[in-house]
Amino acid sequence: MIHADIIRKEKISPTVFTLYFHWNATVLPGQFVMVWAPGTGEIPMSLSHLGKEKAFTIKNYGQTSDKLINLEPGERIFFRGPYGRPFSASKGKTLLIGGGSGMASLHPLIKIGSSGLIAARTKDELLFMDEFEAGKVIATTDDGSFGIKGNVLAGLKQLDLESFDMIYACGPEIMLYSVYNHLKDMKVDAELSLERMMKCGIGVCDSCSINGFQLCMDGPTFTMDQLRYMNEFGSEKLTFSGKRVKVP
Amino acid sequence: MPEYSLISRIGSLKLESPLILASGILDENGYTMKRILEEGAAAVVTKSIGSVERPGFTPPVVAEMDDDLLNAIGLSNPGIDHFGGEIFIARSIGKPVIGSIFGATAEEFSSLASKMQSYGADAVELNLSCPHVKGVGSEVGSDPALVEEIVGEVKSKVSIPVFAKLTPNVTDVVAIAKAASRADALVLINTVRAIHIDIYARKPTLSNAYGGLSGPAIKPIGVRAVYDVYKETGKEIIGCGGISGFEDVMEYMMAGARAVEIGTALKTSGRSIFDRIKKDIISFMKSERIESLEEIIGAGVSR
Repeated sequence: MIHADIIRKEKISPTVFTLYFHWNATVLPGQFVMVWAPGTGEIPMSLSHLGKEKAFTIKNYGQTSDKLINLEPGERIFFRGPYGRPFSASKGKTLLIGGGSGMASLHPLIKIGSSGLIAARTKDELLFMDEFEAGKVIATTDDGSFGIKGNVLAGLKQLDLESFDMIYACGPEIMLYSVYNHLKDMKVDAELSLERMMKCGIGVCDSCSINGFQLCMDGPTFTMDQLRYMNEFGSEKLTFSGKRVKVP
Repeated sequence: MPEYSLISRIGSLKLESPLILASGILDENGYTMKRILEEGAAAVVTKSIGSVERPGFTPPVVAEMDDDLLNAIGLSNPGIDHFGGEIFIARSIGKPVIGSIFGATAEEFSSLASKMQSYGADAVELNLSCPHVKGVGSEVGSDPALVEEIVGEVKSKVSIPVFAKLTPNVTDVVAIAKAASRADALVLINTVRAIHIDIYARKPTLSNAYGGLSGPAIKPIGVRAVYDVYKETGKEIIGCGGISGFEDVMEYMMAGARAVEIGTALKTSGRSIFDRIKKDIISFMKSERIESLEEIIGAGVSR
């Protein structure tokens, strides 16, 4: 387990915080770490900042994330990794599609000229909108509190998707499945970073598997061609106890 | 290649090679087991399944120590009534699927074994050895009288081969092996009970504190257990514990194992490990002039 002291904490929305720390390691966009709150639990998490100063951008959604967002500068965080296959690098025009806290893992890919489509349930959960250039980002909210009212599809319909050289997407599986279905017959290169129940992070426990591929080792990023052969994608997954259920 | 056959037999089960996926590693989802069979395993053992759904422990459930691994997943499983579908998916490729089960009593084991048989499992493996959950696993598997009762009861209820996976966390593994002698084969060994403390958090890394150690560190313990049990009982044995290369497989077989289970090494070698070891065993057979694997079973045991 690696440990580091939190050097800065930033509130980036009413429910989301970014915790900065020093970690001298190379981590690529799309990779993740397992973050441990001793005595509480351990969860997979992408790094939102990958420079010399690294950071987690965390939304409170459970016991462990609650413990983590309540940490203050000077306190310790524990994690192991980095794990997983990163997004492949690409040149040219890129579009980033982030759903909810999925934007945290796409944040390192925001560059001059990048376009963004950010989908969230409500205005407070739209992350990193102001890091895109003016006019380069559109937002959708389920409740209509900001941007287009509706889900990610409402945003996709407003974009000339075949004009992009690469599309990167990260978010809940049900959202990614809509993205996949919308793109599958188009001439586009896309990589989708999936989220599934993850316990070990090192390819042994089988919790995060999809059609025999382990998200933690073979993913979490998959190409459109890989997803084409996965009949569990957007359809079925295993719960924490290993019971097969419908997605979501 | 046909002259160097890797075909192995355990009880009435015929395997294309002696290499089996161990229980607890990548064997909860039917599609994963199917992929591992497609990529070279001769058979898979499922995750251990109990009578009712069980979430298992809160992560951290693993602590990595180089190539070794400490785990306490906590027997998470969907419950036997929700597992038939996974066996069905895994068996669609036509290779054997061995259903692992755990319970507290002989009745529970025999009911689980019957259900595994009805799902099409090609054999059952009795988990008498999980080292980190109260009331089951090694707590059951350290009591020779209970082991004898469980194995006897299961044998009387199912017609598929019954394997008993035993724990190394006892003073005398031979005594437990003798108690389990009605099983068609014994699986030796499960993980070794252990603890890891994170010195910067001043807490055990695993949420359950206790876990089971697997990987190269435990191989000599496994080889010793196989050696002792083979020498004392002559039973058919499946070796397990710390296997990551052909040398380990040969060593276990020379100690008396007819086949082996591989688990933790998938973490470092990936699913291709089975095909790699098969190729390496054939090269070894050629260079050592071994015509059949049968020749080497127990060849390293001093009489």
